[in-house]
Amino acid sequence: MITEIAWKNVWRNKSRSLIVITAVAIGVFAGVFSIAAMNSSIVQRIDAAVNEELSHIQINNKDFRSSSDIQNIIRDYPSLITVLDSTPGVINTTGRIVIRGIASTASKSTGVEINGIDVEKEKRIFTLKDKLIPGTGSFFGAPTKFNSVFVGEKLAKELNIIRYTLTQDAFLKLESEGIPSAVITKLESLRDQKFPTDKKFSVAVENILASSEKNKFIYKIKEAAWSYREGSKIILSFLDINNNQTGAAFRVCGIFRTNNDMFESLSVFVPVNELRSLTGMTEGSYHRVIAKLENNDLTDKITPTLRESLPGFEVLSWKEIQPDLAMLADMMQQIYGIFMGIILAALAFGIVNTMLMAVLERTREIGMLAAIGMNRRKIFSMIMLESVFLSIVGGIIGMIISGAVIASTAKHGINLVKYSEGMEAIGYSAHLFPTIGVQFFITTTILIVLTGILSSIYPARKALKLNPVEAIRGE
Amino acid sequence: MAVVQINNVYKAYHDTEVEVKAINGVTLSFEKGDFAVVVGPSGSGKTTLLNLIGGLDQPTGGEILVAGHRLSELRPSELIDFRMEHVGFVFQSYNLIPVLTAAENVSFIMNLQKWPKEKRKVRTDELLSSVGLSDRHNSRPSQLSGGQQQRVAVARALATHPEFILADEPTANLDSKSAESLLDIMEKLNHEEQMTFIFSTHDIRVMKRAHRVITLEDGKVISDELSF
Repeated sequence: MITEIAWKNVWRNKSRSLIVITAVAIGVFAGVFSIAAMNSSIVQRIDAAVNEELSHIQINNKDFRSSSDIQNIIRDYPSLITVLDSTPGVINTTGRIVIRGIASTASKSTGVEINGIDVEKEKRIFTLKDKLIPGTGSFFGAPTKFNSVFVGEKLAKELNIIRYTLTQDAFLKLESEGIPSAVITKLESLRDQKFPTDKKFSVAVENILASSEKNKFIYKIKEAAWSYREGSKIILSFLDINNNQTGAAFRVCGIFRTNNDMFESLSVFVPVNELRSLTGMTEGSYHRVIAKLENNDLTDKITPTLRESLPGFEVLSWKEIQPDLAMLADMMQQIYGIFMGIILAALAFGIVNTMLMAVLERTREIGMLAAIGMNRRKIFSMIMLESVFLSIVGGIIGMIISGAVIASTAKHGINLVKYSEGMEAIGYSAHLFPTIGVQFFITTTILIVLTGILSSIYPARKALKLNPVEAIRGE
Repeated sequence: MAVVQINNVYKAYHDTEVEVKAINGVTLSFEKGDFAVVVGPSGSGKTTLLNLIGGLDQPTGGEILVAGHRLSELRPSELIDFRMEHVGFVFQSYNLIPVLTAAENVSFIMNLQKWPKEKRKVRTDELLSSVGLSDRHNSRPSQLSGGQQQRVAVARALATHPEFILADEPTANLDSKSAESLLDIMEKLNHEEQMTFIFSTHDIRVMKRAHRVITLEDGKVISDELSF
């Protein structure tokens, strides 16, 4: 009965209740959607780190990370694999040779980490093959007769194995992308000119376009004009197992594009057998073993178990390899809490205000209820339920809207292209796909109900302080 | 045995430095089946006396006994239960719950007392029929006239068979036809259910119907007459 009266009381002043419900809905939507967008950035970064760069667990020779000496190989690799294969939750493993070296072309050279990989096994662990830019090669396809290398787009640009040319195909692409014809007409003056670097092409475009046009369309223009110099070769130089300088020419058989510029410019991948023969390492020797787990949640559980089973090795989870990322993920959880707390506190004040008005308007009625025998607990419950109904109706509407908008944007993404350079420089994607767990929705619902209850305390106490005699007689 | 026994009751208010004695040594008793009015000029203490009898206010002196309860000994929470169980209230301004229908208003106190649903329904039907509103079960107070609202209020007050009904100026906001009709109903219920009614009023029509007229002046009983 109290519940029924409270619900009906909410709708006594429809416009006022609807305003509060709308405010709660907008507040909840703003909070949930913002958090989903922020969360997506972290989730995508972790996802990329795990699926493209690190996997869940890495096992190294104990001294490998501190010295990076090529001789710090993993002893007894088959036994290590046996332990991993018998560990529940580990679904795939692979070994890598990891050495430091220098990548050079005729015009540039830069320091890189050369990863000797087993191509077939890597495909089962990492999604890097999906990051291959179409038309740049087939590193993960059929074996080649020559030394092949898989490099990042950033490194390819640094080493000048990418060029920019506004070909007929590029112009057609620009038209299909909706670039205004006035801009395309201006770009005609650059038709078929070859620009060897990103910078030179940018300057040329800047000279013919207005500043606003350049800012708006440069990303699409570069995408259309970008092309890979087929058959480019780079020289990889490094030390062999006897610490003698060695190296070889590698043909670029694929360029990958991720959202992590650092990873793109530092990591190169070559087939493990080619690197092994060049370094003089024996068959079956590796510096690092990588394990993929059934899911990321198992990482914290399996890492210490493996550490115990493999005392002679350094066993590291991705969180330990990139502690900044793990810390950021933890910190973001707290930031979400603070963010939601501020929004709910603001909503609470709105609800308190509305409920206080409702109580003061109904002084006579509440006095009458007390006079005819409605006890304090029931009066308190009635006011509290009204407040909870206001907040929960608004909250549910807000969450339905949030869910719908998150589902829609998760499908198409939010493209923050304007900030892509800065975001990708630190490893974050500028194309966000908002995501939030079911747990967050459940927690938010509980918090909304709690906000409703807390918001009711002051107005309900006001109601309880009413003297029935004065309340009935006063208007 | 008296339903209400009032022994030398005082009620004083301290308005700034002046002490105002709203009730000044009243001794009265009401028997079961009384149909009594308390009359007197404004400020004579009528409403204060009804509030004291109904346990809405506490006396500053003397004692009031209702159905064996000494009201001054009850804690505030016990007074609420006492009111719910022993007293029926009819207010000048009807004071129905606006979001509930007539039937829901009538069954409200039965609900508070956790009566079974079927029993509530039977009693509600019976009372709304008694007050001539059997066709207005589902009407909200805003859809009823003043007289009809007051009849619903009387039905609500009677619902749980209280010891007595306190009606503070029940006809003050009604036209003469509605007032007469309401008084007819109250008289009938007094007769049929042996319900004790205690009114405060200025209304001559109520005084004419009363079986007992108690006149207050300056907080004192100056006459207490039977008028059949």
